[in-house]
Amino acid sequence: MEKNPEKGYVALLGWCPNAVEAAEKFDRRYVVVAPEWAAEYCEQHQIPYVSWNFERLNDRSTEITKTLQDMGVDVAIPLFEETVEWAGAINSVLLDNPRLLGQSMLMRDKSLMKRRAQIGGIRVGIFEEAHDREDVVRFLKRVNQTLLKLDGDPNDPIHFKAFDKAGCLGHRVIRTPDDVDSIPDEEFPALMESHLDGWEFAVEAWIHEGKIRFLNISEYVTLGYSVFVPASPELEQYRDQITRQVEKLVKTFDIEFGQIHPEYFVTSDGEMYFGEVAYRPPGFKVFELLERVYGFDAYQASILVFDPKTTEEEIRNFFPKEVVDAKGYAGCFGVYPRRRVVSRLEIPEETEDHPYFESHELTPPLEELVTKRTAFGTHWGLLYFTGSDAGEMKRLLKRQEDLDFYV
Amino acid sequence: MTPENPKLDSLLVKLDQSIQRLQETVEFAKPNKVPLLLDLTRRILLLDGGCAALEERAQIMEDAGVFAGSDWANPQILVPSMTSHAFKSGDTHLLAIEALSELRLLVVALGGYRHPLIAAEQAHHYVTQVLAINLALLFTPPGEAERETQGRHAQIPRLLLKHLAERIGYEHIIDRLIDEIWRILRQRPIQVETVKQMVTQIAICQQNPAIDFGGSGQGADRLVSSLYGVTQACREDPGLEIYHQRLQPMDSKALQSEATGFSRAMHDTGLVSPYHAVLIRHLLEVDEYLLAEALGLSSTGRDCFMCYRQLALELIRKAVFPATAQSIYGLALMFERGILYQPAVAPSLWRQLNLQLSVQATARLTTVFGSEVPADTRLLAGVLCLLGLPLGVGQGNNPTCQSARALSMWAYIDPDYLLQMVVWAARDDEIMMHFEGEAISSREAETGITKEFSLDLDPVSLLVVPHLDRVYAEMGRRCIGRQGDPHRWVNPEFHGWWSGRGLCINIDVATGGLHDLDGFLRSFYAHYHPFYNGNQPLIHPQPAGIAITDSAARFIGWHAITLLRVALDHEDVMRVYFYNPNNDSGQNWGDGVVVSTSGKEERHGEASLPFPQFASRLYLFHYDPLEGGIAANVPQEELSLVKGYLMRSWGADRPQPEPTLQGAQVDKA
Repeated sequence: MEKNPEKGYVALLGWCPNAVEAAEKFDRRYVVVAPEWAAEYCEQHQIPYVSWNFERLNDRSTEITKTLQDMGVDVAIPLFEETVEWAGAINSVLLDNPRLLGQSMLMRDKSLMKRRAQIGGIRVGIFEEAHDREDVVRFLKRVNQTLLKLDGDPNDPIHFKAFDKAGCLGHRVIRTPDDVDSIPDEEFPALMESHLDGWEFAVEAWIHEGKIRFLNISEYVTLGYSVFVPASPELEQYRDQITRQVEKLVKTFDIEFGQIHPEYFVTSDGEMYFGEVAYRPPGFKVFELLERVYGFDAYQASILVFDPKTTEEEIRNFFPKEVVDAKGYAGCFGVYPRRRVVSRLEIPEETEDHPYFESHELTPPLEELVTKRTAFGTHWGLLYFTGSDAGEMKRLLKRQEDLDFYV
Repeated sequence: MTPENPKLDSLLVKLDQSIQRLQETVEFAKPNKVPLLLDLTRRILLLDGGCAALEERAQIMEDAGVFAGSDWANPQILVPSMTSHAFKSGDTHLLAIEALSELRLLVVALGGYRHPLIAAEQAHHYVTQVLAINLALLFTPPGEAERETQGRHAQIPRLLLKHLAERIGYEHIIDRLIDEIWRILRQRPIQVETVKQMVTQIAICQQNPAIDFGGSGQGADRLVSSLYGVTQACREDPGLEIYHQRLQPMDSKALQSEATGFSRAMHDTGLVSPYHAVLIRHLLEVDEYLLAEALGLSSTGRDCFMCYRQLALELIRKAVFPATAQSIYGLALMFERGILYQPAVAPSLWRQLNLQLSVQATARLTTVFGSEVPADTRLLAGVLCLLGLPLGVGQGNNPTCQSARALSMWAYIDPDYLLQMVVWAARDDEIMMHFEGEAISSREAETGITKEFSLDLDPVSLLVVPHLDRVYAEMGRRCIGRQGDPHRWVNPEFHGWWSGRGLCINIDVATGGLHDLDGFLRSFYAHYHPFYNGNQPLIHPQPAGIAITDSAARFIGWHAITLLRVALDHEDVMRVYFYNPNNDSGQNWGDGVVVSTSGKEERHGEASLPFPQFASRLYLFHYDPLEGGIAANVPQEELSLVKGYLMRSWGADRPQPEPTLQGAQVDKA
């Protein structure tokens, strides 16, 4: 698409084909900052590209900032958890705002994040940091003592999350001291949280000039398995409360612009608990789901809110009205093989024949033996559904958990 | 679309949406969107009417980019026999893309879609061959193995083939297959695997009582019997072992009748039965005088066989096995050609018999042909085939027309040089040629025209062509910067001293526009047409370049061929007989220019066209500047006739991009 030189010039941090495609089709100039292995592809397809290795921050880190600054880039947009603090570091220079680095560090450390939220008056569950396995056992015991459990009663689980991993990676549910032994060393330090019986959901919010410009609620049917947008009417009834919570978050974390992805619990009495927040696109292809129901490209939305040269009018014209403008519901389900030995991929007819079924991105199995799942792990691919009824969508997504896709 | 099928309708709505989304996607992101489209394709293929619905959309799906970046984007290189693998695959995306490609080619074949890379007629050949190779799938339900790997998707190839057969015309399919097979066989290719597969499929279907061909399929008997039941003693395809036992008690008379039966079938079809090899090896022990009979030799061949008896026996001993049965045909024709009387040939063959293959050569041969017989046997069998059938060599699916043409030319007139090349490639893994006094090694030359070789080649090509291709490309590189067309210098150095040092080209290399057509054509007539060159028959085969056009006479690419003969046919039409390194020379070049491969006095492997039609597709030829007739004698009407053909086809939209080395562009029509 024809680029508008009057508008901002953005750097996309990390390799994400959908984001590149969105940028290509948008009027902002862009450059992809990604590891060397993306070079050949970018060259072949004439994608503007700067090679950078995001492994760790070190003394050479100023180089990339300098390069982008010399190119005239206005702002950097993080696409992955691992590039969030890079974006912070780069933007603090490009936008001459040193606070941005600190802000991004908060986003990267789950424990600091919780404390900051607490300071801002946001409700969080009981949490603690763990540096080794003993810390975990102690926390598990203490939480269950608080709950007045006797020895022999089944424990309430606790959640264990590696500090700097995205989403479900490194997220474990711990019920017994035996579970603790299965945690690998590299997942420490980590954050531990009490388990809240409630409804977990996520939000994707686009912030521009400190204000929420679009707020989507993503409803999880089962955490780690399925999500759909927009949320069902039962959850959407909390929209005002949720909006207020997110506004608090924006204020507490001092977010002027960008796209955030917080997670919350709402307990049966309607109380909101903050889980965590990320300063990047969500996993589970929620952006794609949003495009499916609202018709706008969520990556372009991010470019828009990051670009300091975006006008108020552009923002107003870009975003649709939440919920009312949605054409039905779009959901996806992450498939994990259920059998220990699998030989081929076969989508159950029941799934395939359902009118809501859209497509899947599963590939044939590469190995016959399925490795045992530890943490929430990585699914083998997603199934996509669209339909007009939230209740049916929920039932359908739940039902998939009982089906075999690899046989 | 069937209105009573809501499931199909709803899938088609989704398909149309995702086609549209693919169309809107920027080029580099297309591969990410294709899997979704293929998945919908797969689901639609499972439904009644699905094939028809996809057929309707095949062209827009291709235009949207569903094949982009895959082999299927170049339908002209697709190999029909590969489909049988895809159709049995458990990978549903492979299944879907293969099926979609077939449906697309069906539309092309039926004239509903003018494809830029493949003509309707070729697409028709392709679809027919796909049906032939997968005939059994058309008529039988899935077996246990297919159900296991494919589940309900085993229905997809069946529904697809059924649809193809219905659209192409069911009742004629078998007969067309048989015609197709005969048409290919009359060109006597060295590579007959695909033909054998097709014949085998017909045989299997004939045996199956559940399959009713109706009145069709009669013509298949000769083909099937020439492979599986040639003679009395192997009529019911008893297996090699039993046949071998049956030979033991036979007397001379019985053996003679076997020998005659086999040789007749072999010379009739060009196919050799594995039983034939069993007989030959048996005769080697019991009655070597019957060998000439079993090879079906004429007095010429018999004479040659007797003169070089020891060598002949040794060649049989080393090369002829059931797995290399085709070598019998090569051997027979080699004797008939009398080339052993050239002093260097027999000693070269003795060297070939004892040749130690390099590790690389052995590995390459084993990878492609398996290890049923040793690699050197495989190579020797290949050498015999090439010497017997110099015009039967094809380039496979590689843009290496130049190298295939060189092999063919050497086998044709310079066999001991060919044998030298084989030795260099097979033993030393290096070929050294000279260009204007400087040595070029195939090892040092960087890359050839072809980066990755498809392996559907005969044993000799498999070893030699990669070397030749690199040397040829290097010669081209050394001409960079010179004025004019590089073939002027490359062709004589590459092919041999007999390539004329004079060169005529009717393209202006810089602009791609036509250049001095009259002068070009007058010169061609004066050098090659017997009426204008003093009735001088063509002496040495000459390399030439043609502009290939498709059946709609649209330009496709530059291609290398060999001029072999110019002569009157039995209807007193002056024809050019030429060799085309494409695997199948029978091509329709549009505007009434249909290349004939039999029935116009072609020798096996020759293609032919009336002189003016041929001249209209020619863009480059060599000649001897010291010979030839008077160009001015060629009448203007004759030139106008040729130019008419030219301007109605590839000359229509000139200038085009200038010609580069032949084979560097699209190579096959």
